[in-house]
Amino acid sequence: MAEWPASPSVIGKRIPRLDGLLKASGKAKYPSDVHPKGLLFGAMLYSPHAHAKVKSIDTKAAEKLPGVKAVLVIAGPGTTLRYHGDDIAAVAAETEEQARDAIRAIKIEYEVLPHVVTEAQSMAEGAPVVFKGGNVKKGRSQTKGKPEDTMAGAAATIEATYTVPMITHVCLETHGLTVGMEGEKKAIAWASTQNVYGIAGDLAQALELDRGDVTVYTEFMGGGFGSKFNADVWGTTAAKLSKMAGGRPVKMFLDREQEHCAAGNRPSATAHIKMGADREGKIVSVIAEGHSTGGVGNGTNMILPYVYRGVPHYSVGQSNALTNRGGSRAMRAPNHPQSCILTEAAVDDLAEKLGMDPLEFRLKNLDPGSPITPIYQAEIPIGAELIGWREKRKPRGKTGTGPIRTGLGMALHTWGGGGNPGKQVSCTIHPDGSVDIKTATQDIGTGARTILAMIAAEMLGLQPTEINSLIGNSSYPPGQPSGGSTTTPTMAPPCYDAVTKARDALFKKVASAFNNARPEDLSLKQGQLWAGGEPVASWKEACRKLGTSPISVTGEFVEGLSSTGVGGCQFAEVSVDLETGEVKAKKIVAIQDSGLILDLLTWESQVYGGVIMGLNYGLFEEVVMDPTSGRMLNPDMEWYKLAGASDIPEIVVRAYSPPDEKGRQVIGVGEPPTISTAAAIGNAVSNAIGVRVTEWPMSPRNVLNALATASREGRS
Amino acid sequence: MTEQRPRDPGGLGGQSRRDFLRGSGVAAATAVLTGQATGVLDEAQAAEESAKVLSGTVEITLKVNGQERSCEVEPRSTLLDTLRNRLDVTGPKRVCDRGSCGACSTIVDGELVYSCTTLAVSCQGKTIETLESFETGEGSVPHAFHQNDGLMCGYCTPGFVTACKAYLDKHPNATEEEIRKGIDGNICRCGTYVGVLAAAKAAAQAKKGA
Repeated sequence: MAEWPASPSVIGKRIPRLDGLLKASGKAKYPSDVHPKGLLFGAMLYSPHAHAKVKSIDTKAAEKLPGVKAVLVIAGPGTTLRYHGDDIAAVAAETEEQARDAIRAIKIEYEVLPHVVTEAQSMAEGAPVVFKGGNVKKGRSQTKGKPEDTMAGAAATIEATYTVPMITHVCLETHGLTVGMEGEKKAIAWASTQNVYGIAGDLAQALELDRGDVTVYTEFMGGGFGSKFNADVWGTTAAKLSKMAGGRPVKMFLDREQEHCAAGNRPSATAHIKMGADREGKIVSVIAEGHSTGGVGNGTNMILPYVYRGVPHYSVGQSNALTNRGGSRAMRAPNHPQSCILTEAAVDDLAEKLGMDPLEFRLKNLDPGSPITPIYQAEIPIGAELIGWREKRKPRGKTGTGPIRTGLGMALHTWGGGGNPGKQVSCTIHPDGSVDIKTATQDIGTGARTILAMIAAEMLGLQPTEINSLIGNSSYPPGQPSGGSTTTPTMAPPCYDAVTKARDALFKKVASAFNNARPEDLSLKQGQLWAGGEPVASWKEACRKLGTSPISVTGEFVEGLSSTGVGGCQFAEVSVDLETGEVKAKKIVAIQDSGLILDLLTWESQVYGGVIMGLNYGLFEEVVMDPTSGRMLNPDMEWYKLAGASDIPEIVVRAYSPPDEKGRQVIGVGEPPTISTAAAIGNAVSNAIGVRVTEWPMSPRNVLNALATASREGRS
Repeated sequence: MTEQRPRDPGGLGGQSRRDFLRGSGVAAATAVLTGQATGVLDEAQAAEESAKVLSGTVEITLKVNGQERSCEVEPRSTLLDTLRNRLDVTGPKRVCDRGSCGACSTIVDGELVYSCTTLAVSCQGKTIETLESFETGEGSVPHAFHQNDGLMCGYCTPGFVTACKAYLDKHPNATEEEIRKGIDGNICRCGTYVGVLAAAKAAAQAKKGA
């Protein structure tokens, strides 16, 4: 079984990313930046209605406009449009202005149909249906033990309905690509994707070509978060437009409105939860009934109870309510942030009911059967210390008398991640000493390019900057799509395999040139070839001995270098203005385990970024739909709220990294740190103001509503 | 259902920014044109025939990163689209396209502007700087972003780097709180703010030491 070096010289260090300066100087060319010769600009026409039938569509006027080279109808007469943002037609023109004019010149007659955009509308009796067969689909239900009987006998119980809204990915580079034909039989594309290898297949299919006839480049891409795995309608449409326009390349990137409406979302989640505990503070029963919407796609698959899977009795039912909104897509840790919020709010409320410290309550209820439990037990005291839990935390509502109250909250999370076999990395050592690492994966901002170079540098005794880390090209050996925190743990083993095999081949070829050494006497460190404890040549000199024959090896997945399953805990300190309902995050502490850390600098960035995405989920974000018109009311970046620099609190990040943690190998950290932030923030708000805010985000509206409800009911 | 014109994909509530530019901005924009744009509708006519397409181009010269660059634009073309689509200056990015996120930040006559809400024709005779022209060596803002990992996917980064440089040039003694305000017109989705602020502080420090 393969093993990572025991005392690495590169792995685990803080290495600035190799392409960082290109990005920071504006010189990195993203798929939306490339400008191949003869470029045409594409634009999409999309539905202004939540639900409508296309009665007629007339593109004649559009086709005649100056500069217009191709017009393609996607939704012909009779087609049903199912959401604001649904694709109707597309145009390619000489300038972007002309393309947009042509879109406006397409005449459409709609038969507007009744819509359902909220869960209440969708689930109402006699509601218009999104698809034949009804709106409400039963999801996974689970029952264990006797939840009803146990609940009846519990020492303390809570019952509440918690809700978290739909949000969107808001990739800053919108979905799209630039694609052109090279003759009849070849296509070339620059795609903003998390799946450079797979998207070549999508485009080949649309163009009726073989996969190998399509080359896709993703040198850089401006964010995906789970929403950019396929070519999508607009991507294949751009390819068809290019074909119609004689092969001229077409650049097609969604505008911000369609991006919000059509390019994916994280589904909403609402659950009515009853939770009961015994006198000792052990959760004995959970009864939950949830529903959610992912528009025309899947709803949340709620994991209830989340983390606390040792609860002896529970029953969970859930349903997905289809609505006239764009379909959901995977978004950073699919299903977990929602499940975390729903569970951790109830757990907090039950601790409160029992008069227990919610930290102690959580420790009591960790699942004894989970391998992550010892990790939580170690992480929680570290986080508590860093946030000042013992000194600062007051019982809920006993947080002072003025209009500004501060409070603390916490939450736990877990994620799988891990590596999968089947992907490849090639390593070529050239006689001039240059080293190429190639694989058809991509860097979505995680630092994948740098990680591969670091592994190669480690095994060859070089610096990461001396490695050509070549990714983002579909013609390279098959690489991993970037999803589920699997990229690093999947690509690191074949990279290690390729480099070690190439190194060993080098040793074999050149050993005799150095005092007739045996290959097994050779090693590489500090840019030198060593034989029997002495440096005998520089790296370049050693490689020169290859003569005219480079070494090229394709590596496969090997066991022993990556694993799966992590736990983390987060703590939040917030202040809340009781008069305005405004919540300010003051401090967030994130403790995260993730096995062997390859680049500590980019690892920390991932965790900070996850926390900040969770902070947005906790405080600001929601898709606002107009129930009357069926349209999204905030498909922009003004009213769709995201944090700016002034909203960022002090964030303390700690890797949970005892010596044996490294023995768990590489796991991946993209998803976990974004899961529990919003839950911790919500719990901190409730702690501060003395009442539970049951609806996320912790916006002034939701906070004031909770205070008003409590006041009406005489609870505060 | 009656026939209706699909809503402008770039607009809000039926009145799109480009409609607005067509209605009111063109009058101001044409005032600075050196040549007469052919086919430009006057304001009254535009208002009357709002569905009618404005066409016609005008040749302009822009001073971008120290070079005189000529291109054909429409009076409604934004500075951002002109830089990106016509001059291949793609450092500034189009993200919100509405002056909300700062990814398109560009320095015009020393002032930080959102180039997505600036008309190209209004920039003639002015000095336009994008981040491609910035120093990248030690002590520079791009260098500080790189070293402090003030970027992830990198798509917001040009805007942050530009805003940061513009702010520090004017406020060399800025405190961290002031820097936060200085870059508050920019949004990052990957959540790089911690690295961005570290980079900004490092760049400010380097500037003082220089």
